[in-house]
Amino acid sequence: MKTNILTLTLSFIFCLTARAELKWEQTAVELHPARGDKQAIGHYKYQNVGKTPVHFKSVHASCGCTAAQSQKDQVGPGEKGEITATFNIGDRTGTQVKTVTVETDEAANQKTVLTLKAIIPQELEISPTFVFWKQGEKPDPKTITVHAGKDFSVKNIKVTSSSPDFQTKVQETGEGQFKVDVRPNETSRLLASTLTIQSENSPKTFYATARITTAPTAPGAPAIQKAPGAPGAPAAPTAPARPPAPGSQTH
Amino acid sequence: MKFSLPCQALILAGLSLLPGVGQAIYFRDKISWQSPIPPSEMVSVDQAREWGDNTIWIDARPDDQFARDHVPGAILLNEDRWNELLPQFLAVWSPGKKIVVYCSAQSCDLAREVAERLRKEAQLTDVFVLEGGWEAWVKKNRS
Amino acid sequence: MRFSLGNFIWRIIDFIIAAIFIYAGVLKALDPVQLAHDIDHYKILPWAVGVGLAFYLPWLEIFCGLALIFRLFYRGALSILTALVVVFLVATIAAKVRGLDITCGCFGHASQNWSFPTHLALDLAILVALAALCYCSVARARANASPMPTS
Repeated sequence: MKTNILTLTLSFIFCLTARAELKWEQTAVELHPARGDKQAIGHYKYQNVGKTPVHFKSVHASCGCTAAQSQKDQVGPGEKGEITATFNIGDRTGTQVKTVTVETDEAANQKTVLTLKAIIPQELEISPTFVFWKQGEKPDPKTITVHAGKDFSVKNIKVTSSSPDFQTKVQETGEGQFKVDVRPNETSRLLASTLTIQSENSPKTFYATARITTAPTAPGAPAIQKAPGAPGAPAAPTAPARPPAPGSQTH
Repeated sequence: MKFSLPCQALILAGLSLLPGVGQAIYFRDKISWQSPIPPSEMVSVDQAREWGDNTIWIDARPDDQFARDHVPGAILLNEDRWNELLPQFLAVWSPGKKIVVYCSAQSCDLAREVAERLRKEAQLTDVFVLEGGWEAWVKKNRS
Repeated sequence: MRFSLGNFIWRIIDFIIAAIFIYAGVLKALDPVQLAHDIDHYKILPWAVGVGLAFYLPWLEIFCGLALIFRLFYRGALSILTALVVVFLVATIAAKVRGLDITCGCFGHASQNWSFPTHLALDLAILVALAALCYCSVARARANASPMPTS
């Protein structure tokens, strides 16, 4: 009897202490992908320091742009493993923070959030990336500011317009700082241009868009459908010119 | 007049509430207690519908999700192919249009990020994020 | 209170601790929206709780710092600040032991690039100073309470 009680008590204590536990080396990773990298990969190493296996119920990322994978579905006591988060950079810029939520069958901590922070180097910072004139508006030049990103040295930039209907003029305003004046030849037609901006010693291309748009439409009036444009090709105007609506917005 | 230690702590904690509440009121348009997107930048499905043809719907989800289903007439604009897709959107935009960006649900960040980029980089105004995202639109229009 | 070197040194410590908390509080109070987003990035607290903390905590730090400087509600301020630092320390150490790499963000965006040991060292130093100030305050209260010897 005494032995049975002792065994029962010891088993109970053993069960209490035998909790699965995943210990993470780190749950937040900061990455600095190089210029031109398509992906940034974060590695999250863990070890099962508990006495029972840990089973991964799910591993999912906060964004479709990040793929998260676990090396194994189950981690035995003492075993190590890793979760990999692959972030597709695409055309993203600046600081990107994505999370991966890991759900396990641990009693104490069923959900762990892994954070991936990617600082994407931006060689040129362009503002604004879109300039427009309303149809019939005076074709005054509008300015796009270009300046070198942090940790980049840019001595010269080249700006080309995909359409001869828009003229561009580049002026240096400071070290690594430029002013691009864009001017349409006329604003009576619905014209568009993709401006390609490149720094002299880098193959990477940046874009801005210049367009002549229709004037603000009255609520309820049918919108004019225009043909979509693609980088490098001017958009073809598909509708006849309309007089600007009264009380049109100024840019 | 001498206050006991708990009294002193309570008074300080209470005094700190005042400017905190003041700031919460001052910033009420810049931050929502329900979600990370401020109320002035959110729009419900019903509100967006009221704008009618003056609305441009933008789908911020990955290409495959857009291809499967999307708001009729919506334009795909995600950060995976931003440079390639942006001109297509700009081709249909004109001043006065309301831009409503959505992603899969309230909890996804893609719409907020695309909306932020349109405001900051293209310097467009009237850019909103759809409250509840694609899920909310489906619920209102297809159930 | 008579001037003495001891009192002077304690006042200097008061001012240093107060300055740290007022600085930390002001940094965070300047942009509570960013602070709420910073708290939310780690997905530990519900969004609404993070927003509440973002609006409230900086002012608590500022008022307690001012209380230390002007010696108003001094002991109350000391206890609140000590409690804050203990909570930050316990949360940070517990997180680290469990493998979570989290810095408390005490100084908001400004401390983002600090390493865990730096955060820990500063928090411990502040805790030691606060403990010393608490001890001194209790000792002073006892000395003031004990009756003056009559000749």
